[in-house]
Amino acid sequence: MALQKNKISFNAIELSVLWSRLISLVDEAGTTLQRTAFSSVTRESADFAVVLMDTRGQSLAQSSVSVPSFLGVMPFLVKALIKDFFPLKEWKPGDVVITNDPWLCAGHKPDIGIVTPIFRKNKLIGFIGCIAHSPDIGGTLWGAGAKDYYEEGLYIPPMKLFSEGKRNETIFSLIASNVRASRQTMGDILAQVAANDQGIRSLHRMLDENSIDTIDELGKQIIQASEKAMRDAILKAPDGVYTAEYEADGDGLKEPVKFVCTLTIRKDEIEVDYTGTSPAHSLAINAVLNYVFAYTAYPIKCVFSPEVPNNEGSFRPIKVWAPVGSLLNAQKPSPLGARNVTGNLLHGPVMKALAQAVPDQVQADCGAAVWVMVLSGKRADGSEFVEYLFLAGGYGGRKGMAGAPTLCYPTNVANVPIEVFENDAPVLVTEKSLLKGSGGKGKYPGGEGQRFSYRNIGNTPIQISNVTEKINHQAYGLLGGESGKSGKVFVKMANGKKRHTPPKGHDKLLPGEELVMELPGGGGYGQAK
Amino acid sequence: MKLGIDIGGTFTDLVLLEPDSGKLFFGKTLTTYPDPTKGILNGVQELLVQHGKSIRDVTTLIHGTTLVTNAIIERKGAPTALLTTAGFEDVLEIGREMRYDIYDIFIKMPEPLVARSFRKGIQERVDRNGNIITPLNEKQVITVLQSLVKKGIQAVAVSLLHSYANPSHEQKIGAILRKQFPQLAFSLSSEVMPEIREYERTSATVMNAYVQPLTGYYLNQLDSILRGMGFAGKLHIMNSAGRLTTIAGAIQTPVQLLESGPAGGTMAGIFFGNLVKKKDLVAFDMGGTTAKASMIRNGKPEITNHFEAAREKRFKKGSGLPVRIPVIDMIEIGAGGGSIARVNQLGLLTVGPESAASQPGPACYNRGGALPTVTDADLVLGFLHEDYFLGGTMPLRKDLAMAAIQKQIATPLKISVEEAAWGIHRLVNENMANAARVHIIEKGLDPRHFSMLGFGGAGPVHAFQVARQLNAKQLIIPAGAGVLSALGFLVSPVATEAITSYISTLPSINWKHLNKLIAEMTAQGKAFLRNAGIAARDRQISIVADMRYAGQGHEINIPIPAEKLTLASISTITREFQAEYRLRYGRDIEGIPIEAVTWRVLVSGPTTSLIPKQAVVGNHSKALKGKRKVYWGKQYAITPVYDRYLLKPNQLIKGPCIIEEFESTTVVGYNSTVKADRYNNLVIELL
Repeated sequence: MALQKNKISFNAIELSVLWSRLISLVDEAGTTLQRTAFSSVTRESADFAVVLMDTRGQSLAQSSVSVPSFLGVMPFLVKALIKDFFPLKEWKPGDVVITNDPWLCAGHKPDIGIVTPIFRKNKLIGFIGCIAHSPDIGGTLWGAGAKDYYEEGLYIPPMKLFSEGKRNETIFSLIASNVRASRQTMGDILAQVAANDQGIRSLHRMLDENSIDTIDELGKQIIQASEKAMRDAILKAPDGVYTAEYEADGDGLKEPVKFVCTLTIRKDEIEVDYTGTSPAHSLAINAVLNYVFAYTAYPIKCVFSPEVPNNEGSFRPIKVWAPVGSLLNAQKPSPLGARNVTGNLLHGPVMKALAQAVPDQVQADCGAAVWVMVLSGKRADGSEFVEYLFLAGGYGGRKGMAGAPTLCYPTNVANVPIEVFENDAPVLVTEKSLLKGSGGKGKYPGGEGQRFSYRNIGNTPIQISNVTEKINHQAYGLLGGESGKSGKVFVKMANGKKRHTPPKGHDKLLPGEELVMELPGGGGYGQAK
Repeated sequence: MKLGIDIGGTFTDLVLLEPDSGKLFFGKTLTTYPDPTKGILNGVQELLVQHGKSIRDVTTLIHGTTLVTNAIIERKGAPTALLTTAGFEDVLEIGREMRYDIYDIFIKMPEPLVARSFRKGIQERVDRNGNIITPLNEKQVITVLQSLVKKGIQAVAVSLLHSYANPSHEQKIGAILRKQFPQLAFSLSSEVMPEIREYERTSATVMNAYVQPLTGYYLNQLDSILRGMGFAGKLHIMNSAGRLTTIAGAIQTPVQLLESGPAGGTMAGIFFGNLVKKKDLVAFDMGGTTAKASMIRNGKPEITNHFEAAREKRFKKGSGLPVRIPVIDMIEIGAGGGSIARVNQLGLLTVGPESAASQPGPACYNRGGALPTVTDADLVLGFLHEDYFLGGTMPLRKDLAMAAIQKQIATPLKISVEEAAWGIHRLVNENMANAARVHIIEKGLDPRHFSMLGFGGAGPVHAFQVARQLNAKQLIIPAGAGVLSALGFLVSPVATEAITSYISTLPSINWKHLNKLIAEMTAQGKAFLRNAGIAARDRQISIVADMRYAGQGHEINIPIPAEKLTLASISTITREFQAEYRLRYGRDIEGIPIEAVTWRVLVSGPTTSLIPKQAVVGNHSKALKGKRKVYWGKQYAITPVYDRYLLKPNQLIKGPCIIEEFESTTVVGYNSTVKADRYNNLVIELL
């Protein structure tokens, strides 16, 4: 079915077909990226996103498997690029822009954004961009331990990585000289460029087949339809101002953090204001506003409009604000490395506020954030290793359903198999089991957390970077459901005695020492009989 | 004679082959519940009587079944216990800790097949190199098993850490089970799936034990019934990788049977590809509920080791129980003749994945279905005809199809009923093409270089448009498209694959050790073929290593020369790896060592070389049955309708046209030509 050129609108059938094609083409690009990436987080945990945008930087389609951290982020980046760095007339065919600016991208330096303009018949018709977690970006090892932003590695301001198809060798050389594992890191950057190109090729084919030359009208209709679906869903919720306070570990010692979330439902819009939240923290757990938006919009989308594909329209009815300089709107030079632990807690206060408005559509708190434990050191043969472990606590109870044990929320990362872990690092895992009774009691109980422990069986100390959460706090229950049990982390010394290890930060695990982790359970939903 | 029998959800398909003449005889009968052997017997007798043959003339009978798949979906396996290394009893329930749907708060994770009270830890520990750190407490094994038997278990799965590196503890437990608990079926992880990654290995082992008693009972019963009828030949079972195994092999690892039916489809695709001299194909199979696509490269199926059974959400990756067994790599999407069309909350048209299946079925079946389906749309458009569905044995009601589409789609979207039907047809094709394209791109291939093979009940109706979407240049609709899986069984080789984990970068491989492993695996395979009655001269041995750049998480399969390997083999292996990596990912990477993870030795017997007999010559002048109004997107066009059985071989017909046969209808669109070849395959060129 050939469409007329410059046709002003698409009927429902055309829109259905073209929309699903747009999602398919960003998924094709995402598949290309995921299959070729070295970064295990990009590959295994889908820690990337590919987004197609119109000439105003409004998102039309986002790859469907990506984790929540990138919701709405790419359009923020492109809009900023157009406004503050490269006005529309400065984009040329063959250009590619790179940046890892945490305030423009996804909140910490390892996330690299690559944006490519799309030209058709010598006219700029849109942009395609992708963000992916790089294998390395220099600086100290990933974790909460950096003192400031500058310790966290290389900063790449928005620059043209390619100008009219020509490589900017200065940038390539600068990045390659400042990162560990430079082949993998540069390889992943080129994989991102290739993913964008793949998306552009598929888009041209779609436009050819349908005899259209712009995506503006298509985009307008997609955005309108998605926005309407989101607004219709919010409209059904009762208007009101719902406030939730939520405390979390912070450093797990003397410096806890508090989130204050004021969520206003006004007709078909939701506004979330984090005024009252703690100031930026001394540890690298601070989040930028882009990232806070993503992790605030995510639970809202889960509750109101889980089925609608991600694009500009889904997020228009949502406004998010946090005070400048707070934990949730951190400024230079606050360190940001483990901002994931903070982002991964935001569903707590948001769901707690939403529970007052739509109790049937929410879940009790999860044993989140996901614990991230990084190990580094030397094997017996002198070779070096770095190993990332991700561990999940229990999932919260929901109306009609108990929470599952050990399930990631809100991010989505697979664990490392025990046998793979033991092959990669000089450790022996001593236990991985469910913590019976750790889920909050309730009509629909919370899911259980887990005990995971391993011993250093090498001859040299292992450097560990701990990022735990809910050691001093609990996943709350809802509507009479009880809280889940807190977590624990400690070291069992070779003589069998216990010793302290920082819940967030660096430590050394000596030969013969065993690290024991007990992950928190999820909250229960509804009163138990 | 060879006889293939494929048991599906609704029908049991049979194909009888007379090898000397190349004659094929097809049969179809209803699958019987709860005992499918009844249906088999009916079908076999009917087919033999009809063609004047005797069961004594059948030298090989090949069977494929959905028994294992259904037992897992319906949780009808035996009460099963799991023995693990102490401290790791919950690995099966913890899984990979990842959600399969990130927006669904009300997500349901699959229940493990073994409940907590049946999962027991055993004192023992082996390290990654296979060294024993804690010896096996055999006394504890016996006590634990005694108490489990009292609880009523019938099968035992044993999955200990690092058993792929040293299976001795599992083997000792196996010996105890064999000697002291002969009534229990059991599976050892080092035999079912000797590969690194404890959750996936445990999951596969548990699943295997869970279906072992049932599979054993069923296959032994089938065997004795067939023997009772006078059958004196070999009985082979189709597995998920397109290979045949023996009854003993099937009972030992029944998880290998999970996808036998679909595998038959792809193997038949290879066979037809060879007939028409096409080595690179996309096999496209569309039935009532789902569509499947698989790639055939250089005359071989693509094999993957990632598979899931019993998904919570059928089309969601990660929502099922993982089984790392070799299966033919396929994508499956919720698009079939019964897929339901709706207008969603966005005011858009969607098709599937929900299906009206056969009950209540599409609106036009007149069995109470009120929701419009793909078949209803095909009928309204004129692709199908109310009086010629299943050869006219099942009349359809076009008025009901129109009413359903009018009410559910056309009225809400304010378009005509034809536009709505065309929209359903177009969208389901688009969905299938999109899924196939992502699958093909994942493999680093270009769909334009592939011919497409369309089959399944709805495949020939939709394949043309899907081929168009994929920019494929040629489409083949094989003869016998309705019973293709059973036909695929007849052309698959008897084969067995032995697997060993040996993780090492190429430069640090201990070649002596590796050669020993390969020799052991080869000997195992040879013994299996010998027992299956295959002569030594007919067997082929191929070696494959799963390899990656050190640090990556995905491996790719690399063919390894079947010879004594030495340090000098590194350059050949490296070249093969780089070539395959470039093909899939467009580049290779210098300076990062290449690592082998798993070694596989495939020992296979011969494939049947079969040339089907030329189609029976009919009265070609009557091939043109008539003409009818068909809606092609903008308006109706009077379109010729042909009888497939009467087409004159090699006579070129221009599209658009409709070609009808008993089991299906082939739709040929504009800008194309079609001809029947000498084997009665339809060969369509898309211009």
